[in-house]
Amino acid sequence: MRTRIALIAALAAGLASGGAYAADGKTVFGSTCVACHGSGIAGAPKLGDAAAWGPRIKTGIPALYNSALNGKAAMPARGGNPSLSDADVKAAVDYMVGSVAGGVRQQGAAAPAKPAEVRPAEKKSAPATAADGRSVYHGTCSGCHTDGKEGSPVLGDRTFWIPRIKAGKDALYASANKGKGKMPPRGGNNALSEADLKAAVDYMVLQAIQSSQTAAAVPAPAAPAAEANTFNRLLRAAGKRNLPPADDGIHDAANDGTHLLQPPAQAFTVFPKSTAGNGVNWVESLSQKKIAPRYDRKDPAAAPVVMDLNIVREVKGSMPDVVYPHKQHTEWLDCSNCHPAIFIPQKGANQISMASIILGQKCGVCHGKVAFPVSECRLCHSKKKETAVSQAGTGK
Amino acid sequence: MPERFFKGIRATALAAAAGIALALAVAGADDARAEYGDVVINNFSDAAGMRPVVFPHWFHRIRFRCKVCHADLGFKFQAGGNQINMVKIIDGEFCGACHNGEIAWSVENCNLCHSAKPGTPTQVHESTVQRLVAPGGVQPAPARK
Ligand code: HEC
Ligand code: HEC
Ligand code: HEC
Ligand code: HEC
Ligand code: HEC
Ligand code: HEC
Ligand code: HEC
Ligand code: HEC
Repeated sequence: MRTRIALIAALAAGLASGGAYAADGKTVFGSTCVACHGSGIAGAPKLGDAAAWGPRIKTGIPALYNSALNGKAAMPARGGNPSLSDADVKAAVDYMVGSVAGGVRQQGAAAPAKPAEVRPAEKKSAPATAADGRSVYHGTCSGCHTDGKEGSPVLGDRTFWIPRIKAGKDALYASANKGKGKMPPRGGNNALSEADLKAAVDYMVLQAIQSSQTAAAVPAPAAPAAEANTFNRLLRAAGKRNLPPADDGIHDAANDGTHLLQPPAQAFTVFPKSTAGNGVNWVESLSQKKIAPRYDRKDPAAAPVVMDLNIVREVKGSMPDVVYPHKQHTEWLDCSNCHPAIFIPQKGANQISMASIILGQKCGVCHGKVAFPVSECRLCHSKKKETAVSQAGTGK
Repeated sequence: MPERFFKGIRATALAAAAGIALALAVAGADDARAEYGDVVINNFSDAAGMRPVVFPHWFHRIRFRCKVCHADLGFKFQAGGNQINMVKIIDGEFCGACHNGEIAWSVENCNLCHSAKPGTPTQVHESTVQRLVAPGGVQPAPARK
């Protein structure tokens, strides 16, 4: 299963490799927002759909920026891509608004301020921007950055640029603007506008990303030629599970508090195992009383209201049907956690598909986040089909 | 494994995957191997000069059912979606409903909560989409409450 997931990721990376880092709205849209706004998944207003956008545009562009930056209903903050800067997200909103601006205006529905807001955005997303960055670069910055004069980072040098890009483009803009070390403010060219500078930095960032694009799909970056044909190109190395906080890549080992936190492996030794997620079978841990999580914040004696009701969802194709068990869920959760926000409490009333689960909706609100992950197909697809034998043939 | 299924997934999830893989190129998911379900909360911390917060689900679910936090205390199912800040915490909301010196250690232990590497974005670690495509991950979740 993991291999498959990794493969999907690789494919995805392939698709994205045409992408760019330039903060033009179209690119950002194509990289992140298209996932939902391309087809209208989860009720997202579709690109170019004036009827869907009209009423939203009326609430004002700042409100739209705000929704896109902070998330709204099924839309996660920044479309779920935290590496986007505010400017990137706003540019993508401008692009989407621009896609329907004509239609909205025809209906005479647009608030007067909108067309004016849209036009600069359209300009910003024009390919001219990229060219500008390039020409600003060659006009001012290349003097140092092309061959590393004064110890400047060389254009396209990933080892220098990637960690800095990670820290956020705003920091790079700021350095270019104010100067840093031996680099004078604005590369010594005070005639440059802030937009020029940003364009130049975007261009430099883009060069760094493009030079590393092939490496993106390969876990071992900058692998020498001999390692091009490693056995597992995409499968992540096994064994690194339940790492102590200081080594897990998210906690800061330089923080004293980190070393006081409990290493998960120490807590998990007595629990029944599973092969995914935390590596713990939480259902069994609970039923074997290895854990006694409180049902009430203060009262250790409060007991859950468990409801034993299975809902069978028939699945088209070869996969076994899904049995949704209320029992295991109501051990942990309150009815209001699912009803009605995630599921209408009526058998068959909810449309559920694997794609939505993978995108973090329906069962995927929890499974793939906190409850056992999507890779455990058979925990959900647990009911053999009566016609399983004949169907299996068609599924291969 | 049915190929058709993966074609279906490609059509939809891939769209999500497509560009977000850019983040893979940029932010390098490879090294972080924190516990499944660890939530990093960083709406305000970085900007305030504090390390971002790491909330470990595994640790808390050993002690509490989901219901306590997600129904009784009103935590929405969305990483970063609760606009938590320190005033709310010392007033007994969110983490402060327990980290009050009665049920669990109190707020002066800043570094136990504020323990992430500076700059770590808000995320649910190891979430499906994060594993598929991006270190930051797509974390759609329904708005509730
Ligand atoms: C996971 C799916 C998803 C992704 C990815 C996504 N959106 Fe959305 N978006 C939605 C949904 C669903 C809505 C409708 C929310 C509602 O009003 O109920 C929406 C609504 C919006 C709105 C209108 C908000 C309002 O206040 O009416 C804007 C603007 C927007 N998205 C921008 C973006 C941008 C920019 C991106 C990419 C950076 C993006 N979205 C990525 C799902 C998504
Ligand atoms: C006089 C030589 C020189 C010129 C001209 C120059 N740079 Fe630099 N640049 C440097 C040096 C040296 C550094 C490394 C600074 C350090 O980290 O100490 C640097 C670093 C940078 C960085 C990384 C800063 C960081 O935060 O790590 C950016 C971005 C950058 N330059 C952009 C530009 C842009 C855009 C231009 C043109 C408008 C430009 N530079 C022109 C010498 C130059
Ligand atoms: C329902 C009660 C409750 C809530 C709400 C809660 N915690 Fe806790 N938390 C606890 C208890 C109990 C402990 C264990 C205390 C002890 O060891 O004395 C704990 C321990 C911790 C630990 C230390 C884990 C370790 O390795 O020892 C961290 C970190 C933490 N909580 C963070 C948070 C954060 C951040 C929030 C809010 C986002 C939060 N908690 C909300 C009850 C809660
Ligand atoms: C983890 C999520 C979850 C929780 C918690 C949950 N349910 Fe459900 N419930 C579902 C799903 C999924 C369905 C099936 C919906 C469908 O088939 O479209 C369902 C269906 C139902 C139905 C319809 C049954 C039928 O035959 O039509 C009822 C009634 C119901 N739930 C009541 C409850 C009650 C009462 C609780 C609390 C004790 C509860 N649910 C807790 C997810 C949940
Ligand atoms: C609100 C969160 C939530 C939602 C939504 C949810 N689950 Fe669960 N589910 C859990 C939790 C928590 C457990 C306990 C096991 C764990 O954490 O790994 C669980 C356990 C299960 C189990 C029991 C596995 C076993 O070992 O006995 C099955 C089967 C399951 N879920 C299927 C589903 C299906 C199918 C859906 C969608 C119709 C769904 N779940 C939606 C939270 C959720
Ligand atoms: C958390 C529970 C859960 C897990 C884990 C899960 N599925 Fe599903 N799956 C569902 C539900 C619910 C449906 C929708 C059934 C329906 O149509 O009502 C579904 C539907 C499907 C379908 C039918 C087509 C579609 O997209 O709706 C296929 C094929 C499928 N799953 C394959 C898989 C495979 C392969 C895995 C393991 C990688 C898997 N599933 C893991 C719950 C799950
Ligand atoms: C129980 C966990 C916990 C403890 C202990 C804790 N914090 Fe926080 N703190 C949080 C959470 C959660 C947030 C929201 C994080 C975010 O969105 O960036 C936060 C946010 C903040 C913020 C930014 C938002 C605001 O309120 O201004 C500051 C500054 C801050 N904490 C300082 C501290 C200091 C100083 C201490 C120690 C006296 C401390 N925190 C202890 C959980 C905690
Ligand atoms: C001690 C409190 C606590 C307990 C217990 C708890 N959670 Fe959470 N949960 C949180 C906090 C805090 C967040 C992050 C909210 C934020 O960032 O504002 C969260 C976020 C989530 C999310 C959102 C992830 C996303 O999509 O962004 C899901 C899903 C979730 N929890 C499921 C569960 C499940 C299932 C259980 C039970 C097995 C559970 N939680 C138990 C406190 C808790």
